[in-house]
Amino acid sequence: MLLSLELRIYSVGFPTILILILRIIIVREMEQPQSGNGGAEAVLNLEPSSSISIAYHSLFGPHDDLILLELDEKLLPDILQQRITLRGQPDEDAVLCTGSKTYSIKFVGNSNSVFLIPSSDQTEFCENSLDCKRKDDDQQGVASVIKVAPGNMELVEVAPRLDKLKLLLSENPYTFQEDLEMEDLEVVEKGNTGLYKWDDLVEKVQASDEELRSELQALSAVEIGGYWRIVDVKYMDTILRMLLHNSVINDWSLDALNEDEVVSMLESDGYPHKLAHHCLHVYGNKVDENLGRQVWKLDERRVCVHFAREILKEGKRKMESFMKEWMQKIPEGMQASFDMLEGEVLTERLGVETWIHAFSVSSLPSSPAERFSILFRERPKWAWKDLQPYIRDLSVPGLSSEGLLLKYTRRTQPTQDAEPVFSAR
Amino acid sequence: MQIRVKCKCGEGKCPEWAVVELQGVVEAQPSFQDRLQNLEIGVLCRPSSQPVYTFKVGYHELTGSKVALKKPMLVLQKTKRTGTGDTDVGTDTNSSNVELQVIGIIRHRILFKTRPKPLISSKLTNPSCTLLCLIEGYAMKGQIARNLILF
Repeated sequence: MLLSLELRIYSVGFPTILILILRIIIVREMEQPQSGNGGAEAVLNLEPSSSISIAYHSLFGPHDDLILLELDEKLLPDILQQRITLRGQPDEDAVLCTGSKTYSIKFVGNSNSVFLIPSSDQTEFCENSLDCKRKDDDQQGVASVIKVAPGNMELVEVAPRLDKLKLLLSENPYTFQEDLEMEDLEVVEKGNTGLYKWDDLVEKVQASDEELRSELQALSAVEIGGYWRIVDVKYMDTILRMLLHNSVINDWSLDALNEDEVVSMLESDGYPHKLAHHCLHVYGNKVDENLGRQVWKLDERRVCVHFAREILKEGKRKMESFMKEWMQKIPEGMQASFDMLEGEVLTERLGVETWIHAFSVSSLPSSPAERFSILFRERPKWAWKDLQPYIRDLSVPGLSSEGLLLKYTRRTQPTQDAEPVFSAR
Repeated sequence: MQIRVKCKCGEGKCPEWAVVELQGVVEAQPSFQDRLQNLEIGVLCRPSSQPVYTFKVGYHELTGSKVALKKPMLVLQKTKRTGTGDTDVGTDTNSSNVELQVIGIIRHRILFKTRPKPLISSKLTNPSCTLLCLIEGYAMKGQIARNLILF
């Protein structure tokens, strides 16, 4: 610095010499030795008119074990309280999960040279304690670069990848058979293939704890013997019928079912306590809790939809015969209406007849691309009122439902007043 | 599998790391290339009370500033949990023993995004590092411009 300025003095005219000499003095001051212990602090808190030498660390290297992760300030509390995990199988792209959200991880390269300087109290980067001490004593005024970072990780909020959960739980649903086996053999060392505990699910499903829990609920899963299970539809059907049968016999109101009575009655009919209780959860809502009595109200929609599904399990039906059978199956005191079957069934006109078949939104994949591809395979053209129940649950962070439609459908509207029709792009 | 992100920082006090970032590549003289450790890259200088910094690398000087990052950046270190007494039964892969430890946080960088200014002197001691510009020709143009002013 000093030498280069001398050179300039020779090459410029006489009047500027004085000014330049002043600058030389400043330069000399700058070269005063530094206080401070030479880590990141010395660089970040560099005093005016001072300087620090930047050098390669004694442990400088590629350090592939050091990763930079850019994240929102609002996620820092989760980090500090250790609520963050990375989840995924070796063949999946890893995601980062907080307690309630899921983020995909992207690597962003940087062609600049990014010199990483550790904090001075970073004992990890001392070859031995002696080395650290010597550094403190001798190497003041030197900040050491441990690594040149080739880029960093960035987070993008995504929808949790929950389709796999359904697949896992469908491997081995809980059946009536299993109840019998349990009775036959006191301790059944059943091979636990296709059985998953909470900890197994967390290892296998790319979703945050909260998202996983709410999906388990949405799938009507129940924890039995430590394993999360979905109960075979046929089995649930028999328990529900038995519950309704008992209410008729005992003159119970479906709006105010006493949990203890219902569960003990079902138990005496041979159903396990856990499943009797689960039946109330699946088809009802807890309405009241007084004097230690738990009271449940059966949910009209859920019960009616259950019976509609039962009827359509065998295949498509003519509308009239479906409606007739459905009305017969609905328990006394409940009102079925066709609106309840939004997102559950599709109707089509064949000649003069209307046919109905099951097409449940809950059986469709949750990724928008796969969802739309199945929807357009089912039906090449969709009216908005038919389509809406099948896409309203799709959630893509940062993309509105209009955005989804723009991306995956072609909208046609023959005339201004006509209903828009959506087809594949 | 699941990798935990551990943090021993406590109440919001992660050690703060620094980043010095510049366009281009710093290259050591061939004789030093195999042993970069402890080698000086350059001298960082804050000439005034302004948040303006200079970084002298070899025969070049860069001018830059201290910039706050829009979002903080965590420094994570991948560590393998060493086998404790109670080894898990059925841990399918050894990768399930991997942990990420938060060892630092970066909130600022000293960013040099200007073209390097050559320091003209034949008497400078032979530097250990030189600055290579990513954009070819920048250094040359800079030199020519400087010479025109000088003479």
